[in-house]
Amino acid sequence: MIQILRIEIYKIFKRPRTYISFGIVLAITLVIQLALFSDGKEFLGFFMQGINEQFDVQGNILNGYLVAYVILHSLLMQIPLLVALVAGDSLAGEANLGTLRLLLTKPISRTKLVLMKFLSSFIYTLILIIWLAIVALFVSMLLFGTGDMINIKSDSFVVILQNDVMWRYLLAFCFATLAMTTIASLSLLLSAFADNAIGPIISTMGIVVVMTILCNLQLPVFNHIIPYLFTPHMVGWKGFFDDPIPYAAIGRSAITLAAYTIVFLAATIYYFNKKDIKS
Amino acid sequence: MMSIKAGLQILFLSILAPLTVKADTGTDLFYALRKKALLVKDYTADVNMQIDVSYMKIPKLKGTMYFKSPDKLRLERHGGISLLPKKNVNLTISNLMPAGNVLVIDIGNVEKDGKKLHVLKVVPDDDQNNIVLAKLWVDEANLVAVRAETTTRNDGTIIMDLTFGKYINWGLPDKVALLVDLKDYKLPKGFTLDYETNPGAKPDAQAEKAAKASKGQKGTIKINYLKYDVNTGLSDEKFK
Repeated sequence: MIQILRIEIYKIFKRPRTYISFGIVLAITLVIQLALFSDGKEFLGFFMQGINEQFDVQGNILNGYLVAYVILHSLLMQIPLLVALVAGDSLAGEANLGTLRLLLTKPISRTKLVLMKFLSSFIYTLILIIWLAIVALFVSMLLFGTGDMINIKSDSFVVILQNDVMWRYLLAFCFATLAMTTIASLSLLLSAFADNAIGPIISTMGIVVVMTILCNLQLPVFNHIIPYLFTPHMVGWKGFFDDPIPYAAIGRSAITLAAYTIVFLAATIYYFNKKDIKS
Repeated sequence: MMSIKAGLQILFLSILAPLTVKADTGTDLFYALRKKALLVKDYTADVNMQIDVSYMKIPKLKGTMYFKSPDKLRLERHGGISLLPKKNVNLTISNLMPAGNVLVIDIGNVEKDGKKLHVLKVVPDDDQNNIVLAKLWVDEANLVAVRAETTTRNDGTIIMDLTFGKYINWGLPDKVALLVDLKDYKLPKGFTLDYETNPGAKPDAQAEKAAKASKGQKGTIKINYLKYDVNTGLSDEKFK
């Protein structure tokens, strides 16, 4: 099992496209950091106009903690794509290259193979999130310094003391890993249906985009289905920057995401076991 | 025999006389109070500050408050963010008392928390003054205002309650509670992409909750002054 997992991880990190994801995260992060470094005050002034009218806010507001939050907020759509790039390729890519049938001649069950594919995608996702934490949080802390963190919401303004921030980020990144694992499991499921990696990647993004639009439209007709979609729960990491932290809601979101992950994985195993492998 | 006219004059004067004396007492008291407030040219104070506004979630802020007469005020939080109400009148009692010539109306004495207080209404002569009317509750024995209710031209009504302790001789409070008028606060959700703790809940219910929370309201700022250093000659650089 471990040997197969090692091989799967080796395959992921041997492909140049894997590193494109890390490069994209770095590039987007640096662009946002550069933009905030040069025009951050105007950006902040726009969001804080309601507060600035009534309060005189002084200090290092645009610090590394806030910049990291802005980066994570901005990468809502990009990170699922980067996860899908690898997870969507794991089964369909093998089928496309004609190596899937060869792989299945090894003395390993299809279930175990899917589980190892999922586990390797999870490890890739985890490393991508750690990379994101390094470039978005730690590099921002180096560039912008530290201080109390502000969180600007549509109906409230939250200040978090600087000695109270890092553990929130730790939990937020853990939650983000769970959310991205759900995406990885969805991509893996779609990958099982396809013989070409492009389809699962595009389909994953299509599902995420459509669900996000459904949620953001806030039309009453969709209200009954929105709680059961996984996309509104993916931003649960933001809950750790509220006061008080809505643990119950975050817990519900985590359970929803975990449930989706299990369902997607189970569906993948079920389908892959029945699939007639022709390539 | 005294004429009717002379009798009326005596009656009129006898009614007015006590009022005139009382008005002078109130005016003297106000000017004495203002003079005492102006004794403090500057101070540095260790403070704890609690901002209680429904749409703001801010923990208790510890820091150092710097004040320089007449109106420079700064909260330094040793690397942290500081928030002070943005008002033309700020957190010092001297700024809640109108400057220049004023008309003082002596309301008389009231009793509050077992303490006899002299109530004054103060109207500035200057039409352009941001303060339209100030109502002061003065502890005559200690010559300090324990409450100020100031109606301003641009910033609504500001109510300040002061509790004095060991710095009463300087007229500096140990505790200040400031009640200020606040405007609504709302940002489009499309910009902030909030985490919905109850996704799919009726938009009306959510909007109602948010609107209720931010609708034109009062905010309270409570400051505990732990230690003062008075008249140390603070430079203007400290406020830049």
